[in-house]
Amino acid sequence: MGLLRPSLPPGKSFGALAEFADPAELYHACEAVRDAGYTKWDAHTPFPVHGLDRAMGLKPSRLPWVVLVMALGGALAGIGLQGWVSTTAYPLVISGKPFFSWPAFVPVTFELSILGGALGAVFGMFAMNQLPTLYHPLFGKTSFERASDDGFFLSIESWDPKFDPDRTVELLRQLGAKEVELVHS
Amino acid sequence: MSGTQNESGAIGAKGGQTAGSSAGLADPNHPENSDPVDHRAPLILGAPTFHAITEVVARPLERKPTRGWWICFLTSVAMVGVLGVSIAWLFWEGIGVWGLNNPVGWAFDITNFVFWVGIGHAGTLISAILFLFRQKWRTSINRSAEAMTLFAVMCALIFPGIHIGRPWVAYWMFPIPNQMAMWPQFRSPLMWDVFAVSIYGSVSALFWFVGLVPDLATIRDRSTGLRRKIFGALALGWRGSMRHWQHYEKAYLILAGLATPLVLSVHSIVSMDFATSQLPGWHTTIFPPYFVAGAIFSGFAMVVTLMVITRKAFGLEEIITMKHFDYMAKIMLVTGMMVGYAYGLEFFIAWFSGSAYELFTFKNRAFGPYAWAYWTMVSCNVLSPQLFWFKKVRGSLVWLFVLSIFVNIGMWFERFVIIVTSLHRDFLPSSWFYFRPTLFDVSTMIGSFGLFFMMFCLFVRFLPVVATAEVKTVLPQAAAHPPQAPVIQFDEQGGRDATDGRFGLAPGGAA
Amino acid sequence: MTDHAHSSSPRPVVLASSLWLPRDHSWRRFPSVGLVLAALGLGASLVGGLASPAIRSQLWHSWLVGALFVLSIGLGGLFFVLVHHSTQAGWSVVVRRIGENAMATLPWMALLFVPLLVFGMGDLFHWTHADAVAKDPLLQHKQAYLNSTFFLIRTVAYFAIWTFLALRLGALSRLQDKTGDHNLTRRMRRLSAPGLILFALSVTFFAFDWVMSLDPHWYSTIFGVYFFAGSVMAFFAFMTLIALGQQVLLPRLVNEEHLHDITKLMFAFLVFWAYMAFSQFMLIWYANLPEETGFFAQRLAGSWRPMSIALALGHFVVPFFFLLPRTIKRSPKASTIAALWLLAMHALDMYWLVMPSLHVGGITFSWLDAAALIGCIGVFLAVFGGSLRRQALVPLRDPRLPESITFENV
Repeated sequence: MGLLRPSLPPGKSFGALAEFADPAELYHACEAVRDAGYTKWDAHTPFPVHGLDRAMGLKPSRLPWVVLVMALGGALAGIGLQGWVSTTAYPLVISGKPFFSWPAFVPVTFELSILGGALGAVFGMFAMNQLPTLYHPLFGKTSFERASDDGFFLSIESWDPKFDPDRTVELLRQLGAKEVELVHS
Repeated sequence: MSGTQNESGAIGAKGGQTAGSSAGLADPNHPENSDPVDHRAPLILGAPTFHAITEVVARPLERKPTRGWWICFLTSVAMVGVLGVSIAWLFWEGIGVWGLNNPVGWAFDITNFVFWVGIGHAGTLISAILFLFRQKWRTSINRSAEAMTLFAVMCALIFPGIHIGRPWVAYWMFPIPNQMAMWPQFRSPLMWDVFAVSIYGSVSALFWFVGLVPDLATIRDRSTGLRRKIFGALALGWRGSMRHWQHYEKAYLILAGLATPLVLSVHSIVSMDFATSQLPGWHTTIFPPYFVAGAIFSGFAMVVTLMVITRKAFGLEEIITMKHFDYMAKIMLVTGMMVGYAYGLEFFIAWFSGSAYELFTFKNRAFGPYAWAYWTMVSCNVLSPQLFWFKKVRGSLVWLFVLSIFVNIGMWFERFVIIVTSLHRDFLPSSWFYFRPTLFDVSTMIGSFGLFFMMFCLFVRFLPVVATAEVKTVLPQAAAHPPQAPVIQFDEQGGRDATDGRFGLAPGGAA
Repeated sequence: MTDHAHSSSPRPVVLASSLWLPRDHSWRRFPSVGLVLAALGLGASLVGGLASPAIRSQLWHSWLVGALFVLSIGLGGLFFVLVHHSTQAGWSVVVRRIGENAMATLPWMALLFVPLLVFGMGDLFHWTHADAVAKDPLLQHKQAYLNSTFFLIRTVAYFAIWTFLALRLGALSRLQDKTGDHNLTRRMRRLSAPGLILFALSVTFFAFDWVMSLDPHWYSTIFGVYFFAGSVMAFFAFMTLIALGQQVLLPRLVNEEHLHDITKLMFAFLVFWAYMAFSQFMLIWYANLPEETGFFAQRLAGSWRPMSIALALGHFVVPFFFLLPRTIKRSPKASTIAALWLLAMHALDMYWLVMPSLHVGGITFSWLDAAALIGCIGVFLAVFGGSLRRQALVPLRDPRLPESITFENV
């Protein structure tokens, strides 16, 4: 996979793109598409619509586990670094405090675990979203520019086993789409 | 497709959906829009469409900056010049160009450091803590507040860097393997600061950037040419995919959950620069939460100062409304009183402890040579925010602006009083001395304000000032699946407990 | 205009009379069970404890631990109600009664402190001994504050403030059940904002007086906040248990979202308590000043040391990692375990604060510890249970009740 291109199977047609009037319509359409058994599809909105992930049948994100591991890693790094430096690498006698002064090591350990967690959250999220992906077939459609403004879209990829150019478009029209187009790769 | 805009850039609600309920009526399915008790105005005025929000926030980036912006920008650039000259002279001549002496080894330098770090905390509080508390009103100001945090941390980090005397060995502060096999001393709070503040800066930057990505995509899609390419690269190819939004929202929630203890810990660690010592006036256990409350206090004051100007300059009065200022003023009132509580407690315990040194320190603060600084601090921090009890004051932009500046003056003086008065007269009277700032103390401080305002000017020029995607979620028309509240029907049976006699319930209550 | 098909389905109807504790519910027995526990626990303590002077001191210390434990839960409830009104909170309306019922215990907690004030002062507080004060310049210096008369006046003042706030806010809330008057919400808010200031000051100085002055040479500016943090955490643990019971009773009104919020708050105040405890410890450890280190030196000596470690691990480390996952916070079983555990830890915290001034060398458990604690819990349960029965479980006509029922967590 190119870093900036999505990993899509080869083929001429990307799929169908439908535009809906408002979040409520999109919500119902997503429920219907989910229930119809489609798997390779997505909704596109300018902001996260509350409850839409349930309407789409998405599984909960695994990101918290990544964050936990990274945060614990940060904490271990903190304690390890300070412990090693203060007891072995460069021990200094500071007002009679023990070399391994765990109360004094807490602040840096805590901060490093937060840093670990934050890096995990941000880069983990980008990795799960496969971002950056600067080139995508949907960007070819001018109407899609409204997805970041006030448009609510639903796209079904042609590689979905249930996809059929005519029937899928008909289904989307029935669900109340304002506009349905076929998108080329 | 575009909402109407009049000369001042106000939002018009042409076409599209209108708000679910008009101001003044309680709609249980859209509680964010009005309140059944106070019939207050909705969070976002003018019942705008989604597109109208995009327009009003994006337009200032796409037109030439106004004369007002140029005045602010060039003035702050000049101040940055002053900062550059001050630092250059400091490096050339040494710390002696400042007014520091024995015993006052820290004065303006660390006062400014703590001041700026403190201001940064409000941004994270608004982004993270108010998010965790589900306070929807934060969406209008969080972008600017987070930017303010980043710039404040930039200003803060200058001071520890330049005050060490031999800045060319500043790298010794970092745990980097070197030819001397030397490592930092981790039991020092100054080392904890290095980690805490730099991690705070990094995490804030990450949080800010993550929040920006959808809005960068919005700007990308409206632009052409070079701007489209730059914003396109920065937006990372964001396409509003719900599968992406799911991970994104999780990341945002986790970042908010991480940033909250970060805010609390960073300023606590900064306070430990003082509290871990044995100096009366410095060593007291309440410093960590007291400093955090003070940081939030001063940070919100700075947000108020900036927002009063920004909303007027960019025509954002319907997104950053008087309701937002009302909440911010109340938070300032609460945190101001926490600071006042800490002042009072310090005084009480100074007496209660029976330590002559402690008691002297506090008497000296109030009645000694720096009494002028102390009483400035008390009147600005404890007295002036009391005006925020009054609704009229909270609703007046002039009062809000003036009081926010007073609060920042007061909070600057608080750090000055803590640092300088505790140092200038400690255990041994033969060591007592007075600190006077030199020209370069003052010019460095003014220069840091210049850096802050210059960065903020650049921010409002090139980036969306409001988190448009987040504001859109607050609008009533954003709800796809509003939940239905059950109706409570008051039946004739009334109270069920025999110990409570008649419980006169009328059918169909006033719900 | 778009057609929202789902909004035309009828909204579920809940009868107001179902919002009271049912006649056959086991919680109806709280008052009687509480009274029995109180009579047995406190009665046995008094009888056994007053038998000999050696054991008398143990009696008053154990009694203080029990009294502090239950008082802190009531104070936490008062804080919750004050903040709820001051911030005009929406989500918590449906569970606010739990806080109101908890704070209703506050006037009765005063009764628990009467024996301590009348009989226990000499055994508890070193500074009441005139001969000790005469030999100690530090205690002489503090006499203006630490003397029995002023101490009594202050204690009366604290309970007067708490009683006033608890009774007034409770009465206004009950009145709103009958009238639904929106003005009452405004009045409760106007009372709560200054009420918070009074609360902060009274709890701070109560902690200084009744806990910090057990060692009159010691001081810590953060002590009041530390005590407050533990109290609020204990209240949210208690609230978790009651809310879970109410969720079973009122499934349409109290749902997982409320539970999640309550456990989140319990978690948050757990972390806040740890932050206060650690700040206090670390700063005193670091500066190593003899006038301050005595407190911790005592608690890290002999058999107190393992208890201190147990407190750090059990009151913070273990519950922190346990409550971190979202699924745990939303699970009734897991939340119950966590809440009960934290309540036990809070009791341990109170024990750890008070007992080292009696048993200086090491821990000495006594049957009086258990008896007094059970007795105090009995008093709390009796008053709480009585309040629970006497009014509806939710504020029936609070204008923000619909908003409270429908919110959803992120």
